[in-house]
Amino acid sequence: MIEVTDVVKRYGATTVLNRASFRIAEAQLTTILGPSGCGKSTMLRCLNRLERFDDGAITIGDVQVAGGAAGAGSRADEDDLVQRVREKVGIVFQAFNLFPHLTALGNVIEAPMTVKHMPRAQAEEVGRHYLSRVGLAGKESHYPAQLSGGQQQRVSIARALAMEPAVVLFDEPTSALDPRLVRDVAKLLRALDDLKKTLVVVSHDLDFARAISDQVIYFEGGRAVEAGTAAQVFEQPSHAETKAFLDSFNEGANPVGAR
Amino acid sequence: MTAFLRILVFAVVATGVPTGDAAAQSALDRVRQTGVMRVGIDATYPPFGMAEGGEFSGFDVDIARAIARELKVRAELVNASFDGVFPALQNGSFDVVISAVTITPERQQTLLFSEPYIDAGQGIAVRQDSTITGVDGLSGRTVGVQINTTAQFAMEQRAGVTIQKYNTIDLALLDLRNGRIDAVASDAPVLRYMTTLTFQDLKSVGSDYTDEQFGIVLAKGSDDLRRAVNAALWRVQDSGEYARLYARWFGEAATASAGAGGAAPSAIDLGVIARTWPIFIRGVGLTALMAVTSLVLGLPLGLALALARVQPQKAVSVPAAAYVEFMRGTPLLVQILFIYFVLPVAGVNLPAIFSGILALTMNAAAYICEIIRAGILSIDAGQMEAARSLRMTYWQAMRRIILPQTFRRVVPPLTNEGIALLKDSSLVSVIGLTELARTGQELASRYAAPLTIWPFVALLYLLLTVPLTRMAQYLEDRWRPVTRS
Repeated sequence: MIEVTDVVKRYGATTVLNRASFRIAEAQLTTILGPSGCGKSTMLRCLNRLERFDDGAITIGDVQVAGGAAGAGSRADEDDLVQRVREKVGIVFQAFNLFPHLTALGNVIEAPMTVKHMPRAQAEEVGRHYLSRVGLAGKESHYPAQLSGGQQQRVSIARALAMEPAVVLFDEPTSALDPRLVRDVAKLLRALDDLKKTLVVVSHDLDFARAISDQVIYFEGGRAVEAGTAAQVFEQPSHAETKAFLDSFNEGANPVGAR
Repeated sequence: MTAFLRILVFAVVATGVPTGDAAAQSALDRVRQTGVMRVGIDATYPPFGMAEGGEFSGFDVDIARAIARELKVRAELVNASFDGVFPALQNGSFDVVISAVTITPERQQTLLFSEPYIDAGQGIAVRQDSTITGVDGLSGRTVGVQINTTAQFAMEQRAGVTIQKYNTIDLALLDLRNGRIDAVASDAPVLRYMTTLTFQDLKSVGSDYTDEQFGIVLAKGSDDLRRAVNAALWRVQDSGEYARLYARWFGEAATASAGAGGAAPSAIDLGVIARTWPIFIRGVGLTALMAVTSLVLGLPLGLALALARVQPQKAVSVPAAAYVEFMRGTPLLVQILFIYFVLPVAGVNLPAIFSGILALTMNAAAYICEIIRAGILSIDAGQMEAARSLRMTYWQAMRRIILPQTFRRVVPPLTNEGIALLKDSSLVSVIGLTELARTGQELASRYAAPLTIWPFVALLYLLLTVPLTRMAQYLEDRWRPVTRS
């Protein structure tokens, strides 16, 4: 579904993505795991063109995105590319970025109405459907400020789903939440399996990744160090960096002498 | 403020206001054809010119009407500050100025004068208990004058005199009464009139120390109108009408009965309000009309400017930024003067009210732009990203997501701007619009009742702001549940 080839992204003298290459399979939940500062969030933003990148290529289904300096293509070409990418790829932001002046339902139906010109009644039907899918039936008329963090995240997920993208990106879905809610998020993500979406989750939380992932890509130093099924990466990591990261977690989870 | 104003007017006029000789049609033909002679007058100068709302009275007013009648046209009197009458005459807003203007060689260089229509030397007014007995006692003293008058010029020639300038003569007399200055120098008939009728705790002293003559003022090039005015003036003098008018305003009977306020004014005289409230209503109406129209027009213009400034295309944002820089960086007063007095050079001759509204609108738009721009920038960047990630275009996101949140945030600063606009609208009096503040000025000088008039003016301004603040409160209340986030 998604193929990333030698993607390079620089901010001035800093190279954030250093020839990152990996594939993401269709209808699977893939976690991009790695320590903070490894470039995984930037990678995610490149996947739906919130960021441009300098070199390499990304293919999403039949959409090709090539690296290049800003302003390389014409404005119209860029707008067109952005539209084609985002038709396929939705995103759930780390801070959710809900629209505070709209209700939960308003947040979900806004884009179908303005972008797809869906009649309100139909958009509301779609909106109610996705809100109930994420367990928020009955909260349609609440404003974001009246919802808990976990509920806000669910609205944000419903909002992305309502545009019916093939791919949904999740940027650090557990970082803004109470630790007790992490399990709920994991359950929710797995409950979306029947939608056959390609889900890409960026996280630094090993336990969370272990709980949800079909596939895991270990990211460090701006590139994918290792990729495989969850079982492969977690049980038999083949790279030293991956092993060190996993070990640092295990030590934290099991202090010396606890066993 | 007043010295500043004078420099501004001078500067604006110096930038190239045309004199009448540029006109294709002769001044007399124009007056004859329209049937109207437009007369500029500073009607805060009893007994020459006084106004209550649109009603004018005084010696100059009667002279203007008599001359117009002789010319078989109608006199249309326009009240303007003394500073403003000459530029307005030169740009063609008036045909003549009849406003107790002394004929001086300096003024004759840029203006035309009729034959003199009255002799009026200058005199001195002091407090009743003052030891000053004449103009020679002024050395080392502070003397009040009306700005840009021959009294000011005369005082400037005298060594040891400190000059204090005022917009209107009654303000100078008030300051004298309050003890802040030692004397007031002005046209002797005016001082005699005002000390007899309204400032009875002041007195005129000494004999007139200058010989001056007042003339009717015309723009250069209006020679045929000048000849016609002179002829009319002679007819008015020959018929005996002039003598009657003179007696009416300057004779013994005048000071005995023709009183403006009648009885000696007390500090606070609510009777003045009772007599003049319809005039105030007119002032309030004009102020409200100007402020509301400017706000209503300034809001969309300011919004468009703000959108132009925050969007990424330099070809659009740079001119918008330059506009804001320019309108904020130059005084509103200059903008008003510019639009009214200088634009006619380019063939754009707007009536005073449109000039005022245009200046206020253009000025307010710059401030509103910055308020809205600050509001837009205060919205978290994640909002635009989220909207864009949902495939909205930049403008869809702006309209549906960013601006609705912006408006909720900018209600308080926009309310500020609306109130400021309401009060700034008083500056349009410089182009002869009798809005609320100018109404107060007129009536305060007419009745010499500043302690009554100015608090009342303040109260009216306060009342005008109430609907604005109430509307803002309503919007804030309505949106409150949503603004929390």
